[in-house]
Formats: sequence, C-alpha cells, structure tokens
Amino acid sequence: MENYLNVANNWVFYVCAVVIILFVLFQACLFFMHAFREGLKCGLTRAQMYKAFRTGVLSSVIPSVAAVVALVAMVPVLGLPIPWVRQVIMGSTPYELMAAGIGAKSMGIDSLGGQGYTAQVFASSIWVMTLGSIWAVAIIVFLLKTIKKRYTRLSGDDPRWKQILVNASFLGVFSIFIAEPVTTGGIPLITLAAGGVFMIIFALVITKLKLDWLKEFALTFSMLGAMVCAAVFSNIL
Amino acid sequence: MCSGIFKYIVKGVLIMSDKSPLVSIDSRHGAAEDNYEKQSHFIGRITLSAGFLLSVLPPLMLWLVYGIFPPIKSLIEGIVSITVIMLPVSIVEVLTFAPMMGSAAMYLSYLTGNISNLKIPSAAISIEAASVQPSTRQGDIIATIAITGSVIASTLVLVLGFILIVPVSAYMENPAIKPAFEQILPALFGSIGAYYILKEWKLAVAPVIAAISLNLAGDLPTAITIPVCIAISVLAARFLHKRKLVKGADSVD
Repeated sequence: MENYLNVANNWVFYVCAVVIILFVLFQACLFFMHAFREGLKCGLTRAQMYKAFRTGVLSSVIPSVAAVVALVAMVPVLGLPIPWVRQVIMGSTPYELMAAGIGAKSMGIDSLGGQGYTAQVFASSIWVMTLGSIWAVAIIVFLLKTIKKRYTRLSGDDPRWKQILVNASFLGVFSIFIAEPVTTGGIPLITLAAGGVFMIIFALVITKLKLDWLKEFALTFSMLGAMVCAAVFSNIL
Repeated sequence: MCSGIFKYIVKGVLIMSDKSPLVSIDSRHGAAEDNYEKQSHFIGRITLSAGFLLSVLPPLMLWLVYGIFPPIKSLIEGIVSITVIMLPVSIVEVLTFAPMMGSAAMYLSYLTGNISNLKIPSAAISIEAASVQPSTRQGDIIATIAITGSVIASTLVLVLGFILIVPVSAYMENPAIKPAFEQILPALFGSIGAYYILKEWKLAVAPVIAAISLNLAGDLPTAITIPVCIAISVLAARFLHKRKLVKGADSVD
C-alpha cells in the first residue's frame, strides 16, 4: 500500500489551501469595508476604527502562534496542507483531532497515524473533519437572522442592561479559561497571575498618566510579560 | 460587488466631509440602520456558504484526483457520530455567542473559528480601546473591524508559520522558550480577565466561582462549561442590575 502521506502532502492540496486562504482574506476585506462605511455614517472617527483594527491585529498575533504550534503536532499524522487549511478556517485543534479520530474509528482504527492508518482511513478522517462543521455553518446561514431578531425583542429597550449583558457574557467566557490555571496551579497559575498584574499596572498607567494610545497595546504587552514570566519561572523551578 | 462597496465608501466619506448638521445625519441613520443589518446578512450568508463549499475541496480532490474514498458505510457512520456531537454543540454555541457580537462579526467568526480564544477577546478589548459601548451600533462596528483585523493577522501568522514550519518547530522545542508558548492561554486570560475584573468586579464573582467549581467537578468539555458559565454570569448580572448594584456603562469613569 502506498504511503498516504505522499498523497496528503501533494501540491493539489496546497492549491486548495491557497484558494481557501485567499477567500478568507477576501471575506475579511469585504466586511471591513462594509463596517467602515457604516461606522463613518454613525459617527465613529477614522482614527477610532483604525485603532480597532490595530487592536484586533495586535491581540491576535500571539494566540495565533498557538495554532502554528498545534499544526506542528498534526503534520506527522495528517500531512501539512490539510491541517494547515483547517487551522485557517472553522477549525480549532481539539475539534479537528476529535473529528479525525472519529473518522478513523468508524473504520475500526483506534489511533491517528501508525499501523492500519491507510489512505482510505485518512480520507475518512478528512471527510468527517470537513462535514462536521456543516451544522454550525447551516445554523448561522439559515437561522442567525431570526435568532438576532428574537434576541433584540427579548432584551427589550434597556440599553444599560444590554451592555451589562454583553460584559457578563464576556466574563463568562473568560472565567472558564481563568478557572483552568487556578485549579491546576504551578506555572499556569503564575502566568495567569503575572498577566493580571501586568494588566493592572497598565490600567493604572493609562488612567493616571492619561496615555490613551497605550490602550490598544496593553493586552499584547501584558501577555508577553506573562509569557516571559512563564519561561523564567519554569527555568528556575 | 467590490465596485459597489467602493461606491458606498465614497458616499460615506462624502457624508463625513459634508458639514451637514448632526440632526440630518441622525435622521439618515435610522433608515441606514436596517440596511446595514440587511447587507451584513446578505454578504455573510453568501461568503459563509461559499467558504464551507470551498472547505470541501480537499476531500473532494482526494476522491476525484486520487480515487481515494472511504467505504460509504463507514463514512455514514462517521458522519452520524460527528453530527450527534456537533449538532447540539453548534446550536448552544450560536445561541451563546449571538448576543455578544453583531451579525457581521458572527459571519466572520464562523468562517474562521477559534471564537472563544481569539474573536471574543479581540472584540472585547477593541471596544475598550476605541471607547465605545458594547451592544450599540458603534460597538458592533468596532468589534467587527477588530475581528477583521484578527482574521487577517491570524491568517498571516499561519502563512508565515507554514513557510517557517521547519525552523519554527525547532525553535519551539528550545527548553528556554517552550514553556512561554505552552502558557499562551493563561497569559491571555489573566490579562484580559484582570481588565474586566477591574472594570466591574461584581459581575466577575459569580462566573469565576462557577467556572472553578465546574472545573473541580470533573473534566467537562468547554462545549458544556462555556454556556453554563455564561448563563450563570448573566443571571447573576440580572440580579445585580435589578438591585442597582452594577454601574452600567453611563457612569463608568
């Protein structure tokens, strides 16, 4: 049997990957222009909007490096181009690994890669990874408009409550990721605390010295600071 | 489509440079509001569907070019298994994220994924950086623009990472640096968590306690813990709001 990785790393899939990546960038540009023009209409300044864009870029660079690290782990099993493009669209690493595993399991293979992981099993993994995302896409495409309208009606006309609702939801998401290092302790907890301390220092500096421009860098800088602490402490301990 | 959008930008610029009194901009805004949402749904529905179809290209090529296709019986079995997991997860997830972001931001987020660890933090911090309020038209636009920045940045990082994959993977294994990259999530959420706790600590008490208890209770998937935690957080916030114990946006600063 031919090694499936020779197929998985073929140029055909690189072409697919490039097409998909260009499309993702195209959608982002489309929505940028759409939002920008509406922003001008409803009183946002260009400076504010460029700042939002830069903040989005800055705060995403480091977390995206995590996706590259995860990619490095998937390459020996699934080849390079397909996991690569799955990281760009829809994917998150745990989902892809789970879906690839289910694809293998439905053909009676219990592990990714290794003995018995033939080209057909590989194909099964890829199909399951791809088709598993259809539900989220279908719900958004067909139902988001309705869901949005329902929510608008439900949340009523109290703007202050709406803002509290969003902030409370943000905190709900953040709490999950805060709880993990708190219960694990050790280096993750030190990193979490360091991130918090750096952010508090930045917040103080920004409000006391009125350095408003620093706001968009605060998250990136305190993340970097916390990561340096993680490296330093794990080399000491 | 593109030229149409350029025309809109030009129009937008004209409205801005036009020294018309604010009142007239506001009255125009009323009609434009529905238009913006309508167009967001239109662009979003088309691009998200097209993006999904494109994502089917790799397995399709595997079949058409190489003739490699799994036995239909096991493929159906695999699809049924993933559906049993992903259908309820996706429903809950969409219902959870929909009130937190505008429609345009949702379509962007769902094409590229990584919503809770990339899109939500970007949206949250940009709203602060641009000094606007969430859940308003301005907040929605700022969050959408931040998410386009996030999408472009993470795509470029992945392209760079791909080019550098061999040198990068060697670098990442360096024992002095490796721990830093293993702690990206605690670093991110320690920082942004502290910001939000500083902003309104009363709102943070319930979700943090809930999340820690959930974590101690066992190894539950985030598909369960995130919605539960948000629900608890929102209920507690409602309680605080009713008793006028949280400030809300107007009196911040």
